[in-house]
Amino acid sequence: MEILGPVLVAGITTGALYALATIGLSLVWGALGMLNMAHGALLTIGGYAAFTLATLLGAPWPVAVLAPVAVGALIGAAIYLLVAQPLLARAPRSFETNVIIATFGVAIALENAVLLIFGGQPFGQSIALPGHLQAGGIFVPWQNVLIVAVVLVLMAATAFFLARTRAGRAIRATAQHREAAQLLGVPVGRVYLQVLALSGGIAGTCGLLVSSITQLSPTLGADPMLKAFIMCVVAGLGNLPGAIGAAFVLALIEAFASYGLGARWGFPLLLAIVILVLIWRPDGLFGRAAVRRL
Amino acid sequence: MSRADRGHLVFGLIVLAALAALPFVADSRYVLGQVILALFYAIVASQWNLLFGFAGVFSLGQMALFAFGGYATAMLGFYLDWSMWLAMPMAAVGTVLFSLIIGLACLRLAGAYVALLTLAVAQVMYLLIVTDTDCFVMQGATCRQFTGGAVGFARFGDLGTRAIFKGDYVVANYAIVAALFLVTMGFTWAMIRSPLGLAFQALRDNPGCAVARGINRFSTQLLVFGASAFFTGLAGGLYAAHFQAIGPGVLSLSTLMFIIAIAVVGGIGKLWGPLVGAVILVLADEALREVGGEYRTLGLGLIIAAAMVLMPKGVIGLVEGVMARLRPASGRATELAKSGT
Repeated sequence: MEILGPVLVAGITTGALYALATIGLSLVWGALGMLNMAHGALLTIGGYAAFTLATLLGAPWPVAVLAPVAVGALIGAAIYLLVAQPLLARAPRSFETNVIIATFGVAIALENAVLLIFGGQPFGQSIALPGHLQAGGIFVPWQNVLIVAVVLVLMAATAFFLARTRAGRAIRATAQHREAAQLLGVPVGRVYLQVLALSGGIAGTCGLLVSSITQLSPTLGADPMLKAFIMCVVAGLGNLPGAIGAAFVLALIEAFASYGLGARWGFPLLLAIVILVLIWRPDGLFGRAAVRRL
Repeated sequence: MSRADRGHLVFGLIVLAALAALPFVADSRYVLGQVILALFYAIVASQWNLLFGFAGVFSLGQMALFAFGGYATAMLGFYLDWSMWLAMPMAAVGTVLFSLIIGLACLRLAGAYVALLTLAVAQVMYLLIVTDTDCFVMQGATCRQFTGGAVGFARFGDLGTRAIFKGDYVVANYAIVAALFLVTMGFTWAMIRSPLGLAFQALRDNPGCAVARGINRFSTQLLVFGASAFFTGLAGGLYAAHFQAIGPGVLSLSTLMFIIAIAVVGGIGKLWGPLVGAVILVLADEALREVGGEYRTLGLGLIIAAAMVLMPKGVIGLVEGVMARLRPASGRATELAKSGT
């Protein structure tokens, strides 16, 4: 029982982080049919942006917390304008695979730029809450509580934005049917730009949160991104609520598998479960078989 | 023989002549070593190109197959004292079996799903090897993990060329690698022209129509996946035998990216694209090393993104486009009708 608590806390915290990482990925996939391989690099840069302002420049924490959002959104928008938009305009049919390769290149370049600027040695993120909460014999660090709270708020805000605002409706319309939305006067190009900026901003925040309980390193975002991909695939690419649910469930499974079988078997077991699920349901747990016009 | 096939044959003969002439022209061992490396990259890229460019299967697990072949060769030599010449083909067969298992799990899906799952498989392989700390055998006072751990394997045997040719063994190794490259290209060409090749190219171009004509998508793509694994695994084995070492580094993302960059720069879906891409990128790599080694990966990342955006058909596609423009108008119509490979 004493060990169950920490494992549960760790599982829920990483679940929240994975969920936040999947939101950005899922939004972009849902709207553009684009797998953004640079998402992990955006996480990394978000973490380093906060570190630069808070630790190196000594900025007050509200500024430092907003920096990852701004930097992430800017780079996300740049990825759309410089990479996704030209690819989409030139060859829409092979966009799905072309954009994976192109953003893969962007990801490696960004990650390497971080390595060149900051070096490979790990840094500690200074923006973190000290102390812990004690409830029924279980120690919960305040930082973990904060992470879960921030993720919940961000998820609620994203859900509200998508469901209730004009821009959110435009995003959903574009995701459902690009041409129809365009015919009805939705500026599809601008919607895409907004989606990538939004996803970049969320990724930056996620990077800040991830770095607050681990360490800053140039490969910070790689692991959460790969896991987030897997969550998205299990839930069915583009399915936001499903991906969030999958993130929590799989993170808990991983936490308990790491505890029970040793840390190195957590991810392999996760992958095995995912492959079994996909053999059973090739379009993901909650994904509907896409009807494609050929 | 169609015009495209004549073109491939002429290009192949030129490559053969260039490969044969190189040892007499290249004066330093370093240059020959870099050419060997480029040929290894070209072999793996050509099999990835067969899979993605011709069959439309977007796998990110090509280096996992390469690593499997390399590790299997090294482990057969290390634990069982097998000759490299026996270990390499066995490892290649093993790689095909391994690829069929991955294919059975991943190829039921399509598009981006395949890319993500194969990437995850490669990543799991990397993690399991690097985090392996249990001692399998003791080598003197040092502990040796079953998978070689983060260090990898070394001194498990060589190609036997050092004993025969003494100082010129690099030339002999070069000949072996070049021969494997030419056989791989011949195999790729035969695959593309075979009925199976027509089937998987049809699946790439119009899946609905191809399936309606009675082509089984899953089994056809699984066959290509397995076929491309053979030479990838064999190249991995030869890589291990040539360098007399193999480590988890071949599974790193940057190596995979280098392979993809080669295919993209040369031209995806072009038979000779991987060779052209390998030559260009190894030269670019050398140039970046001159400028400053630390900018190498950054530069490669930018090259891959820029090549994808600015010339999606690669250098070969650019050259073909220019040549089609130069040709008289009457010839162009028939050429357009015939093009496709």
